[in-house]
Amino acid sequence: MTFLMITGRTVNQGVTVENKTSAEYAAETSTCFMHEFDMLELGLDDGDTIRVTGPCGEVVMRASASVEVETGTVFVPYGPYANHIVAAGTRSTGMPDFKSHEVEIEPTDEEPKTVHELMEDLGGLAYDR
Amino acid sequence: MIVKDAVCPFCGCLCDDIEVEVEDDRVVAVTNACELGTTKFMGEKRMKNPILRDGDRWRDITYDEAVQYAADMLLSAERPLLYGWSGTHGEAQCVGVHMAELVRGVIDNTSSVCHGPSILAIQEVGHPGCTLGVVKNRADLVIYWGSNPIDAHPRHLSRYTRYAEGFFLENAFRDRKVIVVDIRKTETANIADEFVRIKPGGDYAVLSALRAIVQGKTDTIPRTVAGVTREQLVRVANLCKNAKFGAVYFGLGLTMTRGKYKNIRNAIELVSELSRHTKFTISAMRGHYNVYGSNEVNTWMTGYPFGIDYSRGIAFYNPGETTAVDILARKECDAALIVGSDPAAHFPRKCLEHLADIPVVQLDPYPNATTAFCNVQIPVAVTGIDAEGTAYRMDGVPIRTRKVLSTDYLSDREVLSRMCALMQEALER
Repeated sequence: MTFLMITGRTVNQGVTVENKTSAEYAAETSTCFMHEFDMLELGLDDGDTIRVTGPCGEVVMRASASVEVETGTVFVPYGPYANHIVAAGTRSTGMPDFKSHEVEIEPTDEEPKTVHELMEDLGGLAYDR
Repeated sequence: MIVKDAVCPFCGCLCDDIEVEVEDDRVVAVTNACELGTTKFMGEKRMKNPILRDGDRWRDITYDEAVQYAADMLLSAERPLLYGWSGTHGEAQCVGVHMAELVRGVIDNTSSVCHGPSILAIQEVGHPGCTLGVVKNRADLVIYWGSNPIDAHPRHLSRYTRYAEGFFLENAFRDRKVIVVDIRKTETANIADEFVRIKPGGDYAVLSALRAIVQGKTDTIPRTVAGVTREQLVRVANLCKNAKFGAVYFGLGLTMTRGKYKNIRNAIELVSELSRHTKFTISAMRGHYNVYGSNEVNTWMTGYPFGIDYSRGIAFYNPGETTAVDILARKECDAALIVGSDPAAHFPRKCLEHLADIPVVQLDPYPNATTAFCNVQIPVAVTGIDAEGTAYRMDGVPIRTRKVLSTDYLSDREVLSRMCALMQEALER
């Protein structure tokens, strides 16, 4: 199913933002908040893993039911998971389309990667593993 | 020891009423701060000493070695990028600008991925803003548009708007109306008097519709605009026109969506329109505690607020070309100095792929996502905790942050000044 992916700040993202290699930060920024009807349609329960495919690749996140978003829209806290699939084009403003990406979402059995794994996939080297 | 009136170095609210209890050079309790601020003050797990990537492992190095590495890296680069700056104090930002000029590099701050578009709009039509104190004491109508302060600026509501006392308001809680405009029914929307839910990407149309209604052209408005009914639009326009003093606070819901700076321009023009009927102001909800300062410092030193390119020997500014995301995505820079931010967590992956290919030095107290792409990371003191310095609040008021405890860490300014001195020395030789 196709969704509009919005990214933004949450309290938990802010609380863990100075500790980006923690499991709590990874858990928060790999959460995809969805309308429960959309989850029903995809056969998802809270905490089930999903593959989110954007213009630049795919990433595994966990679905979480939210009363804040409308059907057809998903919300992901700012962080390395959402940015793994966000395109770098800025339409000559310097600002990528962080809040207007179309993504495909499907259930998966894979587990979300850690922040370290995401960074190493892109050529980095984890420090405090 | 209890330090009173400490300044919180988390968000643009820069709350200056924090009490911090320190025992044995550790923060043990924080009073008055929100959850975000408290966690920052209590933060542990700092990096202990500078580190260098040596093949597939990390090894510890001295500050002198790390500073020399960074100076050599910047001097030998053809097009270095100096990025970040919003998580540090103004004095360090000043040194950063000097360094960029010295090596003819590009200096950009995190506003290019937060309120950069707001600044582009302000450059087009101006900024009818005011300080937070004016809003607190006078505003009887506050509009949060595309921003969610309960999550991002938790004390904005209690210090300045919904739950704040106002000198010129008899009963502020009753007399002050709050409108929230968002595509999500956020926590902030739940405490609003009026929630306007618009369809994603519909901000520009809704702002235009409100402008038309304020101009008396309600007949031209269709039954719904981006999911908002005409009745609600008329009600909101009337609330605005009938307010004695209105304040709009907008967030990244306007800057990161389709239209970007044109959304902000339209919002500013709505405020101008409303000011023909009553008093109205508009301001951005700035994120990092000193992102406003990075714009101020860059502007008074270079003439431009972000994305400044010194490759021509003079300051050149062209957002979309001289901004960090674009420079990294085009694989243009050949070295990067990162200070007070974490681009690996907040930039699109294409930018990170280039960071992995070039030498990177980062100044940050903690290991973060960008650490993985560093050749060298230099741990520094945290401004507002173990270093002091000037920061600009989201309304442009400079506030001196305080040092609440002593550590052996050098401040950003000290490390950068050493780097800058080494670079100057090498260039004079």
